[in-house]
Amino acid sequence: MSIRVVSPVAGLAAPIGEVPDPVFSQEMVGPGVAVKPNGGSAEAVAPVDGTLSTLHPHAFVVSTEDGRAILVHLGIDTVKLEGAGFALHAAKGDRVRAGQGIVTWNPTEVEEQGYSAVCPVVALEVGKEELTDVIEDAQVAAGDPLFAVDS
Amino acid sequence: MAEDKATAILAALGGQGNIVEIEPCITRLRCEIEDGSKVDEAALKTAGAHGVMQQGTVVQVVVGPEADTIASDIEDLL
Repeated sequence: MSIRVVSPVAGLAAPIGEVPDPVFSQEMVGPGVAVKPNGGSAEAVAPVDGTLSTLHPHAFVVSTEDGRAILVHLGIDTVKLEGAGFALHAAKGDRVRAGQGIVTWNPTEVEEQGYSAVCPVVALEVGKEELTDVIEDAQVAAGDPLFAVDS
Repeated sequence: MAEDKATAILAALGGQGNIVEIEPCITRLRCEIEDGSKVDEAALKTAGAHGVMQQGTVVQVVVGPEADTIASDIEDLL
């Protein structure tokens, strides 16, 4: 069995190594895919069915029933925006479905403030070989498949 | 367990007196410290850090999604 992980945002899927942050590009917390978002106000959606186990305005983690955890980070160093420009539609501990809207944000505004808007989507504490069906050179819509993780 | 980790990380950052600020991000602790030379990177890794990035008095300790918990445990120790 494997868990299908969908893209939280619409944009260009790219190798995780292109994220301008060593924690993600060197896969220190796990492997994944980077999505370079299309501009304009957009809703970031849950990448899998599960529980919203961590929620910050600029990042969240959805934990699945079989013990996997998928991290979505909206932009790089965006913790410094202190939530400005991010509107939350869910609360920590909520059960969510893949494709359900979690945060509304605007990647264009994030870039205007001097931050990269790229979104790492990471399978936390998983070996790289456990990722399959990886999409990392294609335009994707929010909710489109991005990769699968063994469960 | 988590508290032991917090204690070990705090010690490896040079102890209570060396911390100016600790802020959790989703995968890491962003720390502002007094004296960068007191940071023991090997000890941080032994304490469970996946990685350490230091630029002078700014240290990022990559601990994964436990960052929130560890940061609040460290704050309890300060």
